Amino acid sequence: MRKVAAFLIASVIGLSVLAGTAQEGHPLTGTWSGDWGPGVNQRTHITMVMTWDGKTIGGTINPGPDAVPVDAIALDVTKWTVRFDADAKGASGPVRISVEGQLNDIASAHRTITGTWRQGTAKGDFKLTRD
Amino acid sequence: MRWSLAAAAAFVVLATIAPLAQRSALYDAERQVRLEGAVTRVEWVNPSAFVFIDVRDGGGVVANWAVEIGNPINLERHKWTRRSLRIGDLVTVDGTPARGPNRQALARSIVHKASGKRLFDMPAARPGGTGRAAPAPRWPDGQVRLGPAPGQKGYWSATGTKALVESTAANVRMNDEGLLANLTDADRVAPMLPWAKAIYLHRQRTQLRDDPITRCMPPGGPRQFQMPNGVQFIEQREVGRILVLMGGGNRNWRVIYTDGRPQGQAAEAVLTYYGTSVGRWDKDMLVVDSIGYNERFWFTNGGLPHTEALHLTERFSRPDASTLKYEVTVDDPRTYTRPWTGGWTLQWVPGEDIEEYFCEEGNTP
Repeated sequence: MRKVAAFLIASVIGLSVLAGTAQEGHPLTGTWSGDWGPGVNQRTHITMVMTWDGKTIGGTINPGPDAVPVDAIALDVTKWTVRFDADAKGASGPVRISVEGQLNDIASAHRTITGTWRQGTAKGDFKLTRD
Repeated sequence: MRWSLAAAAAFVVLATIAPLAQRSALYDAERQVRLEGAVTRVEWVNPSAFVFIDVRDGGGVVANWAVEIGNPINLERHKWTRRSLRIGDLVTVDGTPARGPNRQALARSIVHKASGKRLFDMPAARPGGTGRAAPAPRWPDGQVRLGPAPGQKGYWSATGTKALVESTAANVRMNDEGLLANLTDADRVAPMLPWAKAIYLHRQRTQLRDDPITRCMPPGGPRQFQMPNGVQFIEQREVGRILVLMGGGNRNWRVIYTDGRPQGQAAEAVLTYYGTSVGRWDKDMLVVDSIGYNERFWFTNGGLPHTEALHLTERFSRPDASTLKYEVTVDDPRTYTRPWTGGWTLQWVPGEDIEEYFCEEGNTP
């Protein structure tokens, strides 16, 4: 019982610490995770890493063997909108990915991007949360 | 008389020393409130002391208000103690109410109803250093000391203007928290890239409410020299380093290596709140080169952003015993269009050490 209590207390403290350590630099930099799909029962997990080198926002969708590089991510800082395109590997050739989203709650450690995700002929909504 | 003149004077002087919480985010400066009632409690806690009073409204309903009166360490330094106010004392408070529904106010003045004595005031002026302009103390080899002369003590306190603004920008008005009087001045504060300016303006428009310092995150970069409780330099020449002890924030320290080691590459450094710093003396000026900052803090008040590419070059000089000139060049090509420089002056507080002071999150009522 004590171990359970200690674990719960440690978890709460840990979550509190995580909640309090926002990334205060470029608002897109870092690792994001979430999913996309045409409906609540058809979701595909996404992990996305974004970088900022002072000129270009770069990115990688699903880092690993099936990584999809994203050359240029457009951020409109007047509206905090995000847009990017990429080509994923498909069975019969490249599959175009086009994404348009809205960056929400930019001051939060766990800010989000929500919007529309198109992949090939499929279209759905998406939500990415900064880890 | 419970309210001594010394205590009243202490309030006059000390009310201008801001606590860690961003007051602009907490209090609505556009409104004023007058509260009359009996003191029910005195909370003598960091970062701000509070007096609680029961206030009866026109309908006879009594509500308890929390009135912020200032930093307890500074209050105590000026002979104001937790016992200077008694439960049951009737007071009239003029102040700035909190934003939102909370019954909380930042006192501008408190009047003791029985005596009519004004006990608390919020003047524009703040105390300066009291040290006289004697020559800067030096080590036996002639090197300027950043700390006290042998057998003495003291520390550096940020007084007067301490906002980080590009030194070529004139007449950019902002308060001690770095809030601009006019947002159209943002372009003159620093040469920001578009994303950085957008973030900066967002922080300004939201009254700095998301400032990590309010969650007791460390004040890295130039901000350590903007904190209200001062800094102290411990020069450990025998091991080739200088420790910067911070009285504000959460009582951190920073190490500046002066042993001649080369600055590491930013990519190799463990990213921290205070970065990795190496310093060298250029005649009477200490020049400190720092890299390796994380992105979890605001490096100055007012919310100027930075990235992990931040590179600071700080210059410290002590033209006399009471004055420390601080100048910093900010080079972060991912945030700013070019390197830029700003700075301010710190004043020597003689005969005292920085006192124990901890930022404790959530320690206000």
